[in-house]
Order: sequence, then structure tokens, then C-alpha cells
Amino acid sequence: MKVSYFETARYRAPRSLPVEWPVPPDAYDREAGTESYRGMIERMQFVEELGFDWISVAEHHYSPNRLTPNPVVSAAHLAAYARKITIAVLGPIVSQSNPVKVAEELAMLDNMLPGRLVVGMLRGITGEYLTYGLNPAEARERTTEAMELVLKAWTEPQPFGWQGRHFQFRTVAVWPRPRQQPHPPTYALGTSRESCEFAARHHLGLGVSYAPFDIIAKATRYYRERCAEHGWQPTPEQIIYRANILIGETDAEAEELRAAQRRARQAFPLSEGVRDALLQLDIRNVAGEARTPNVGGVLPTNFVGAPDTIIEQIKRCREQSGAGVLDLMFQIPGSNDLSFLMRSLELFGKKVLPHIREV
Amino acid sequence: MTQAGEAFREGYVETDGFRIRYMEAGKGPAVVHLHGAGGLRLTRGHDLLSRQFRIIAFEMPGFGTSPENNRTRDLPELAATMAKAVAALGLDQFNLMGTSFGGKTALWLAAQHPEQVRSLVLEAPAAIRPAGSEPPAGSPEEMARRLYAHPERVPPMPPPDPAVREKQARLVARLRGPDRDPELEARLQRLAVPTLVLFGTVDRVIPPNMGHFYKELMPNCNLVFVYDAGHAISTDRPEAFAEVVADFIERREAFVISRTETVIHP
Amino acid sequence: MQVSYFETARYQVPPTVPAEWPVPPGAYDPETGAKAYQGMVDRVRHVEELGFDWVSLSEHHYSPRILTPNIAVSGSYIAAQSKTIKIAILGPIVSQSNPVQVAEEMAMLDTLSNGRLVFGMLRGTTNEYLTFDLNPAEARERTTEAMELVLKAWTEPQPFGWQGRHFQFRTVSVWPRPLQQPLPPTYSLGTSRESCEFSARHHIGLGVSFAPFEVVAKSTRYYRQECARHGWEPTPEQMLYRANILLAETDEEAHDLLEKQRSGPAAFPMRAGVRDALLKLDQRNVAGEARTPNVGGSLPTSFYGSPDTVVEQIKRCREEVGVGVLDLAFQNPGAPDTGRLMQSLELFAEKVLPRIRDV
Repeated sequence: MKVSYFETARYRAPRSLPVEWPVPPDAYDREAGTESYRGMIERMQFVEELGFDWISVAEHHYSPNRLTPNPVVSAAHLAAYARKITIAVLGPIVSQSNPVKVAEELAMLDNMLPGRLVVGMLRGITGEYLTYGLNPAEARERTTEAMELVLKAWTEPQPFGWQGRHFQFRTVAVWPRPRQQPHPPTYALGTSRESCEFAARHHLGLGVSYAPFDIIAKATRYYRERCAEHGWQPTPEQIIYRANILIGETDAEAEELRAAQRRARQAFPLSEGVRDALLQLDIRNVAGEARTPNVGGVLPTNFVGAPDTIIEQIKRCREQSGAGVLDLMFQIPGSNDLSFLMRSLELFGKKVLPHIREV
Repeated sequence: MTQAGEAFREGYVETDGFRIRYMEAGKGPAVVHLHGAGGLRLTRGHDLLSRQFRIIAFEMPGFGTSPENNRTRDLPELAATMAKAVAALGLDQFNLMGTSFGGKTALWLAAQHPEQVRSLVLEAPAAIRPAGSEPPAGSPEEMARRLYAHPERVPPMPPPDPAVREKQARLVARLRGPDRDPELEARLQRLAVPTLVLFGTVDRVIPPNMGHFYKELMPNCNLVFVYDAGHAISTDRPEAFAEVVADFIERREAFVISRTETVIHP
Repeated sequence: MQVSYFETARYQVPPTVPAEWPVPPGAYDPETGAKAYQGMVDRVRHVEELGFDWVSLSEHHYSPRILTPNIAVSGSYIAAQSKTIKIAILGPIVSQSNPVQVAEEMAMLDTLSNGRLVFGMLRGTTNEYLTFDLNPAEARERTTEAMELVLKAWTEPQPFGWQGRHFQFRTVSVWPRPLQQPLPPTYSLGTSRESCEFSARHHIGLGVSFAPFEVVAKSTRYYRQECARHGWEPTPEQMLYRANILLAETDEEAHDLLEKQRSGPAAFPMRAGVRDALLKLDQRNVAGEARTPNVGGSLPTSFYGSPDTVVEQIKRCREEVGVGVLDLAFQNPGAPDTGRLMQSLELFAEKVLPRIRDV
């Protein structure tokens, strides 16, 4: 099992912040912002030392909760400090981006990180539809078309035009190309039927997230079936599972922390009227079965306990879902205490990591 | 192009001791409009909105051809009169739109009758102003330079009647209230009506950076800048104005969710 | 006078690669590309040591000639590997970008570089209209609107919507904000009447480029007049001039090199049919006077000669144009590698830089 540390450029607000997304920018504190990027570099160096395989960054907007509106920009900064760790950009929200530009900037990044870039392409959480004004009814189709165009832009040897449904370009000729040929390890991110099918058709990996093992197992099973139909079989490393983890010295400590976490607030809460409207408009599925979108809600924590317990949970996760990469979001329940985060990382690095390599 | 407001027909309502003129057009949900300090002037924006809504644009007592209004003592009182005028038309639920001075009046009306106002649209509202600001005055040319982003594009209007202008200016000076009104602002903090505040990016009467104060005060407020529009947004960029206003009236705070189709070819 | 070094991530193009823009990406060599970015970092560190004030980057696409399609990404990479030099992003092509995304990326970069960002906003060279299919007839208006939206996104305290002519957003709420307050040093880049007027109206700087002194002087004069009309006066640092320089030990050597350069290829040569169509469609002006757009042509070299000669030219430039920052593209005619470039940089730092500080 490979392990990835999900880094969010944690912002520690010096004063209490408005809760609702989007967060008013005048609440932004420049010192705290600078500190959050500095911390990002320190944590990367720390997990690299501890033996984590990847560090992952994701695109989120309009909130101090993830200070990475363009994750490629933060990744390029991290690239300069990284010695051996792989940087996973999971992912750019391709549905609302210019896919050619995404292809260009990821290719630049791949040239800065010899052989150590991993890419996931994302539809985006429901709330992000508001960021640049994406019509929820088009989100799925735009994601699929955008992913296809990114791959084409990386691999076509000659300048070409793209007469899409949603995107149209008469001239595409991306320089630089990715350094990894034909392109960096790439994942479609999502549990949906469409993600699984896209990934299977294009021989890409699949990245699933947050839901319990039995739910994501539906997606990974469906993905493997589709891959088989297309005449190939994904390696375990081609399945990523992003999940919350809450590690304590003992199970009892972890359970107590979980209780504290339940009182914690959601990452991206929206005003009620907007949330309800989005819930009606956003259509999501797991391997074809409809699921309710998560709009401004709390996400479950899939791994909880002492190191030994977590090792068992990881084994069970591997058996049930087949994922070969865990992308872990370390929880700091009830506070924004970064020393707790560092202790958790260390505990995981020393007491869990060595025991799951063979899982 | 036809004259703005041609489809509107005139009506009068007798209420609160006033005979109040209004212009009306369109079918659908009711949108009540309260004009700015210069009096009732129908725009292309009104025309566009009347395709989707029943627009009722009042001429408030003391403006236009109505007799000088020495009776109304302050804006809350003017707002109360206008609420009665709306009620006299048989509307108990309506959308309310106010322009500049009318925006402040509309805020008072909404604060007095929050249960009746489905949504509130404020076009360059004058409820929060920089210290010492004055309503636009001067020659028609000077007025046009203050009101419009591109005065040269606005069709010439008949010269205003100086008697009407002076009468209106006296009334506005008496009613407009302080630049920051603590009593109104305290009410706004409790006013949960979905509200849209619009400012043109080249507003030369009220700086567009007054917009954020409404958002800070009001619990359910959206702020939108209309690019390259002056104080008279609905004249400068009628299509842009009507598109966002209609969407907001229809969907209220959910108007932030895009429904723009980006399919180029099916 | 302050001096900026214009860095292009030089890619050593083998003679077999077609010259025409867009260049076929199949010709991309990943090893050469990785070297190009490493060289970029080496040169930035070098000019920082030599005492240059800024390093500048600019957005170009679909060609090995300037390998920086997203300059926020290269800027972020450089920021991690330099300490004091200002990072001048001159500039993102705002006409064809998502202006909110530009505001987000630049705010990240200003924070990541600890407040070393200098920011210019660009309409783009004529060939770049083809990159993301920008209608030449709309280029000017879109640039102006985009610049205005970037500034708004950086300064509005509350989330807002933007009801533009070309751009429409219902939710804008940029996190992080730039570190430098109220704005990083910001320029509108271009000689046009519209650029000058925009800069004057918004109290930002003006960046002109490549044309001879007497031509760019028309723009800077007009800009200063407009600033005066808006009741302020720009400092010399608020005017920057990007120009080609060919520095040699002696005037004779420089002259020989210039001859060699004249026979060299243009930066972005285009097929005749496309070039001619673009020439007809692209409307450009210098302070209101129409000028012919440069499509696929070579650019003049404004400074050339021995150090003494170049010092005199720089003095004359300051007198005639009034600029306080030179952004220099060091020419390297006919040389297969960057050895000569490094020599010119050192020569400049040793023999020119100390003598123009008080110009």
C-alpha cells in the first residue's frame, strides 16, 4: 500500500471567521496566509522524511479552508523543495477550467519534477459550481469532454483543432509536453459510472473518496469490470482512495477525539437557499446508482483508532476496495492545532507506514 | 428602437391622502419600483423586465406632476405611504425594486413589511453614502455626466421643468436622511428578505465601493457589479441589468447557480 | 534606473524542428525541456547574485521559443529558488484568461514569494489570439474588462457578482489576497490609448515594449498626460520598457552579431494566409495613432553595442521615454548554447549596471 498525505495549506485564522462559503475576503489575514504556505512546505519535508510516498494538493476556491485555488501553482512551489516525494495534483476541476490550459500547466509541472508527478482530473464538489458559474446540468458532460481534451493535448503530435460539445479550439499545440511519456500517471476522480467508464476506456487510474468502504467498493468493482471489458486490468496503484483519518495513541483517545470532531464545523457550508437549490440540481451516482450530493456537509472519517486498529482498517479497506494508494486527510478535531497534526503524521509514519507496505 | 416605456399605461391610486400616479406593464409576478431623486423615468430596463413580470413603477408623492409634498416628514413615513399604495392595488406579496433614493425608501418599506416583500432589488442604492455626498444637480449636461457611463450614447431627453426639479430637490433634501442612518442599519441587520444590490463600476454619484456595506449588514444579501455602467444602470446597460434582476427575482439567492448552456454544437 | 532580466525558459531547438507557429508538439524532447526549466532556475539565481532588480516572465503558447504557457506556475517555481529578486509577471494574457483565476493565481504567487510579485496585464501578441480562439475584434474590450475585474477581485472586501460585457460571474471571493497592500506593483502593458487611459484611471503603472524610443515615448507622454488629468503623477518606476539588448565587448562585435541576428528567424513566424488575415483584423494603436500589428515578424533591438555605448543609449532612453525600469531580453544571435548569454549578463552587471543606477 502506498500512502499520500493530503496537504491543504492550513490557514490558522487569528480571529474568528464567518462560516458561510464564500468567505468574505476582507477576513483574510496576510500573515496567516504567508504562514500557511510556509507550513505547507515544512509539512511536505516532514512527510517526505517519514517515508510518505506522495503529497497531494487539490483545487478549492473562495475559502481559507483550502488555500489552493490553483493547485498547480502550489505544486510548482513544492516541486522546488521536493527531493523524492511524488506530488499528486488531485485535482484540477476540469469541468470549469480551460482544458488546454490545464494540459499546459500540468506539463510544465511535470518537467519540474522529474518523473514524480501524478494527476487526477476532477468534476469538483457541488459548491464549486458557483466559483466560475458552472451549470450543474452540464457538469458531468463538461468533465468528460475536458478530460478527453487534456489527454489529447498531451498526446497528439501535430497541432489540431477541437470541435467539442462544450469546448471549441481551432489551434491546440501544447508546449511543453509532459516529461513522463506519454503522460504522467493520470486518474479520473469520482465514484460515478461515467468516471469509471472514462478511466477504463482511456487506461487511466480511478480515484474515489470519503465514502465508506462498501460504497467505494461498488465504484472500484465497476471500474475493474469496465477495464476488463476494455481488455486490461488496473494495478492496485491505479486506484486511489482519499479518506479522513483520525489517529490516536490508543483507541480510546481516538474515540474521544472523534466525539470532539462531531461538534466541528463543516468545511464549505452554504446558505440554506443556495444549498437546497444545488441539492435539487446536482445529479451524482456511485457506479450508476443515484446518490445524494454532499453540499456543505461533514464528511465521514474512515480510519479511526490507535495505530494497530488503523492497520487492520487499512487491510480491510484494501480487501474490500482494492485501492493501492491511500490519500489521507489527517484530522485535527475541535481545533486548528498544528502540533497535533505533526504528532499524528509522526505516529502514522512510525507505527503504521512500516506495517502496511506489504498490504 | 421604440421610446423606453412605451408599453406602460398610466394609473392612479388614492391612498393615505395622496393621489399617486404609477406606470404599469407586463404580466406575471408583481415588481414594484420606487424611483430615484430625479423622479420617475422609465428605461429600457423596465421594458425588458416587463416581458417577464408585472412592473408597477410609482411616482412618489411630491415628484413629477404631483403637488408639492410638505406633509411627509421622513423616509419611514414615505415608505409607509408607498406600502399603502401597493396594498391599494391589492398586492399582498410583491418584489420590490428601488433606485438610488428609491432604494433607501424601499429598504424602509421592506423593514416595515418584511413578510410582504418576496425579494428586494436595489439599483445603486443611496442608503449608505460617503460623508458629505450630494445628489446630482446642475445643467442637463452635468447631470448626464454624473448619471451615465457614456452620456453620449443616451438619447437626448426633453429639458426638465425647472419648477419640478426644484420641488423634487427640496423634497429629497428634506427626506434623504443622514449618509449613515444607525436606525435603518439596525433594522437591516434583522432584514432577512433576499436582497440584490447592484452598482455600476463607474457610478459617479455613489461610489460602487459602498456596495459591500449592505452585504456586511444584511443577512441575505448579494452584491453585483455591472461593468461599465454609471449610476443609472438600467439606462446604461439595460440588458445586463434586466438579465441579472429577472434571474434574481425568479430564483432569489439561488440565482448564483448558473443555468447558462455552454453547448456549442449538440 | 532599475533593471529586469526577461527570462524565457530557453529551449535549445534542434534545427529539424519546424519554425512555423504553432510548432508541432510531437517534436518536443522531454530531456531538453527539463533542462530548459533547470536553466531558467540557474539563470534566475545568477542574475539575482549579479544585482538585477527583477526577473520577468511572460505568457506564450504553442512554441518552444518561450516555454511558459502559465507564468504563475514558473513564477511559483522560481519564487522557491530565489530570495530577494522581484518576480515580474509581464504578463498573463488577460483577454483570453479567466480574470478571476488570474487574480487567484497572482495572489498565491505574491504570498508564496513573500511579497516579491510585480504584475503586468497583457492583451497578448497577435498570434496568441489563436491560442484560445480569441476574436481579434473583441481583444481590446476584453482586455480592459478583464483588467478591471482582476483589480476588483483583489480589493473588494465582500463576495460580489460581476455583470460584465464579456465576463459574467455571480460569485467572486478571492482567497488568498495578495500580500502586498493595497496591490502588488501593477502595470497595464501596451502602448495603446486604452492601456494608457486604464492605467491613469486606476493609478497603476504602464509597460511599453520593443518599439524605438520615439514611438514608446508617445505612449509614456500620453500616459503622463492622462495621469495628470486624473490628478496624480507616476513615478519613473511606474513606467517600464521591455526591449531587446545585444551587448558585446566592442561596438564592432555587437554590430557583427546584429547582422547575424537580422538573418535569423522571427520568434513566431506564421503561415502567410493566417498572418495576412490576422494583419487585417488586429487593430493596434500607439497613444491613439494606428500602428500595424506585428504578426510573426522580428522585433527591433533597441540597445546594442559595447557597455559604454549601451550606457549612453540607456541615458537617452530615460530622457526620451521617462521609464525607470528596463526589462531586457538579452539576445543570443546564432549561438547554439547559453554560454554567450551568460557572458552578456555578466558583462552587463559589471560594466553597465553600476553606471545606470543614478540615471
